Amino acid sequence: MRTLQQPGAALEPRRLVARGEVGEELRVVLREGSDLLTGLAEVLAARGIADAAVQLTGGGFSSLQYLTGQPDASGRRIATYGPPTALEGPVMLVGGNAILGRDAAGRPLLHCHAVVVDREGRVHGGHLPAGVCIAGPEGVVCHVAALTGVGFRVGEDSETNYSIFHPAEA
Amino acid sequence: MIEAAFERGRLGRVAAIRLRPNQDLVEGVEAACAEHGIARAVVRSGVGSLVDAELAYGRGEGAGGVRVEGPGVEILTLAGEVRPDGDGRPRAELRGTISDPDGRIYGGAFARGGNAICITLELVLQEWLPEAQGAPSPAGTAASEEV
Repeated sequence: MRTLQQPGAALEPRRLVARGEVGEELRVVLREGSDLLTGLAEVLAARGIADAAVQLTGGGFSSLQYLTGQPDASGRRIATYGPPTALEGPVMLVGGNAILGRDAAGRPLLHCHAVVVDREGRVHGGHLPAGVCIAGPEGVVCHVAALTGVGFRVGEDSETNYSIFHPAEA
Repeated sequence: MIEAAFERGRLGRVAAIRLRPNQDLVEGVEAACAEHGIARAVVRSGVGSLVDAELAYGRGEGAGGVRVEGPGVEILTLAGEVRPDGDGRPRAELRGTISDPDGRIYGGAFARGGNAICITLELVLQEWLPEAQGAPSPAGTAASEEV
């Protein structure tokens, strides 16, 4: 198994774990025209949900962009995102996982990866950025497990040189 | 008559987990569970990246695998469960889809020891709590059995 030297020293512990409960289970249909990343975070925040485990289970997009990873030529990090790939709709959702937490300023933040099929039947997938994944006529269907007592918070990670989610007691 | 195995239970507490770089995905999930007394669990969500990926498929003579070179292989979907092995240690069976740096999509079971975390894995597991052995059950079903 290949491993790569990160830009910063390895931090301990190697596994971060925080325990909590599922407070509420919801089936959410994000309506046509909504951006998945900002829209889902917003509607869940309006219900008082700041942390959640999300499964994308149905629906599709009228337009979507996604990012895939690549080596970081600058050397600042092991890997970074490449340029976005843009898909014109209809784009059908095959599946996706997302984590809802908060950024460093305490604002809702959704980290989402998904697999989709374009209008020619080609399969695509990657990290979904905010603002460019627009729900289509059927909406986007999500199953949300709202978390209580635990969540994810963005923090600086000197090992990877990224700001990323870390488990936290909530 | 169609036969199936049933295990009645309920979902319990969750664990919000981050795996740091260079540990194996499967072994890291197992270690996290062992360190926190989690014997059985199901993946509720998982998002992350791998240095390279090794996916397995099939069984026995038909078994195969594919190695996908990164770095920065994105885990797109992740599903699976953790159950105890014969010695009571947590054993993770994780399956999913990935994309390589060229945007090609692959799927399979994440092979033990073949999937080093690249930047991070953000994971939510929820404990699966089977009903106690010997609990009353409807006729024709088993309340609990290892499947």
